[in-house]
Amino acid sequence: MDWGKVKFFLGEVGRNFTRNAGMQATAIGTVAVTVVLLGLFLFVRLTLAGVGDRLLKQIEISVYFHTNATPAQENHLRDVLRADQRVTSFTFVPKAEGLKQLRRQTQGSIDVSMLTQNPLPDKFRVRVGDPSEVSAVADSLRGEPGVANVVYGKTIVGRLLQLGVVLRRVSIALIVALLCVAAIIISNTIRLTVYARRREIAIMQLVGATATYVRMPFVCEGVLHGLLGSLVALLILGIGKAALWSKLALALPWLELNGTHVALLPIALQLLLVGVAIGALSSWFSIGRYLRT
Amino acid sequence: MISIRNVSLTYPNGVRALDNVTLEIAKGDFLFLVGSSGTGKSSLLKLLYHDAIPSHGEIVVDGIRVDKLRGARVASLRRHLGVIFQDFKLLNDKTVWENVAFAMHVTGAHTREIERQVPRTLDLVGLAHKSRMFPSELSGGEQQRTAIARAIVNNPKLLLCDEPTGNLDPENTAEIMDLLLRINTKGTTVVVATHNQSVVDRMRKRVVRLEDGRIFTDEERGFYYLGLGQGQVLSG
Repeated sequence: MDWGKVKFFLGEVGRNFTRNAGMQATAIGTVAVTVVLLGLFLFVRLTLAGVGDRLLKQIEISVYFHTNATPAQENHLRDVLRADQRVTSFTFVPKAEGLKQLRRQTQGSIDVSMLTQNPLPDKFRVRVGDPSEVSAVADSLRGEPGVANVVYGKTIVGRLLQLGVVLRRVSIALIVALLCVAAIIISNTIRLTVYARRREIAIMQLVGATATYVRMPFVCEGVLHGLLGSLVALLILGIGKAALWSKLALALPWLELNGTHVALLPIALQLLLVGVAIGALSSWFSIGRYLRT
Repeated sequence: MISIRNVSLTYPNGVRALDNVTLEIAKGDFLFLVGSSGTGKSSLLKLLYHDAIPSHGEIVVDGIRVDKLRGARVASLRRHLGVIFQDFKLLNDKTVWENVAFAMHVTGAHTREIERQVPRTLDLVGLAHKSRMFPSELSGGEQQRTAIARAIVNNPKLLLCDEPTGNLDPENTAEIMDLLLRINTKGTTVVVATHNQSVVDRMRKRVVRLEDGRIFTDEERGFYYLGLGQGQVLSG
């Protein structure tokens, strides 16, 4: 290992990086702004997806039996539910228990004490792992013997699933657009720094530097732009979240933000990676036009 | 060493810089390319270090078909020849030492080799005592000597000089030409494009005159003007 070479290379990168502070700040700032926007967007998307997911997880299918259903029919359904891989849990609610629950729920508002007999049927409460399969499971249960009715929040499940699809599509389009804009702006900024050093590049090539040799310090510079820009962005996002999250949760209580978990570390790593990639790639391409041969 | 056969060069803007030029230069030769501005001297040099590609003809430098080279092989060619210019083309934010060492760094030379070779070369051009200075702190002659040191630090077989004394006073000009001559006597082939008559007439080396992109005269031990020394032209 020739440490002299490493030292020389790092010296070149360092010298270039510290020489034009204004330009470097512009490039880093551009990366930072882009990554903040991207991060904000990813975060909102994940939060909304999390809220939707949580709502969907709470969806429960109620399977009501005919009042004259036999215990054999109820046991058969229990076997069916047990065998169904899509079902994560189910509980049997006998009519007596159902009436107790009804009494509890309506206490103080509706007087059910005058009921002379229990009008409720037996029922199963069923939870399904994958929200998108709720309606399929409900439909399959509807045909079982002794089952009178199967009820679940059909409209809300439909809307939430649709929202999820739209959210995914829109977000992919937006992320692509945002990345394109970022790459264009950053490569223009870097092109300026390359332009300022075009004489130097020509001299390097004159004494026999290969295209890769000329490129490497610039690409490293781009990586530094990306890295520093992303770190600044993460700092801004972190401060923003700390300052605004609890206020947002209070302002939008129906979203139940505090109960929604968003994994921040993967987002941060993704953003860092995106920043570095944008910096490196736009440097690589910006310098291309000044490399002859 | 150099074989140029039926070479023409037309630039993209349509200007015909060279027209069917054929020239052989032997190993260890010292040759002046003369002619007024725009006659193709610089273009001919550019072809030799692959800064331009001929429209027709072939160019062989030390056994390599230069006109066929592309990409990394161009870089490799340039490491085996030195080029100096009227405007020196030094890196202004690097010291003399760093400018010279830079030409070795790009070849991937080992640091130990660089530390041995650079001082030797600076010694040869007489700049050992100014190795820590920046180009802006040097005189024109010193800057050109730095450029020469950079050009010869890799021990090239061929040294190409494009108006090397164009920006220098007579005293510095003489020093630079002496230096080039010394490099030539060590075995390096030297090609100098110039329109400095006194330099050419004093040194009495091979002189190739270009006019309108064609070779007009080619004389061993020639003068700037065909058969005429400087004094004769001035008096005549």
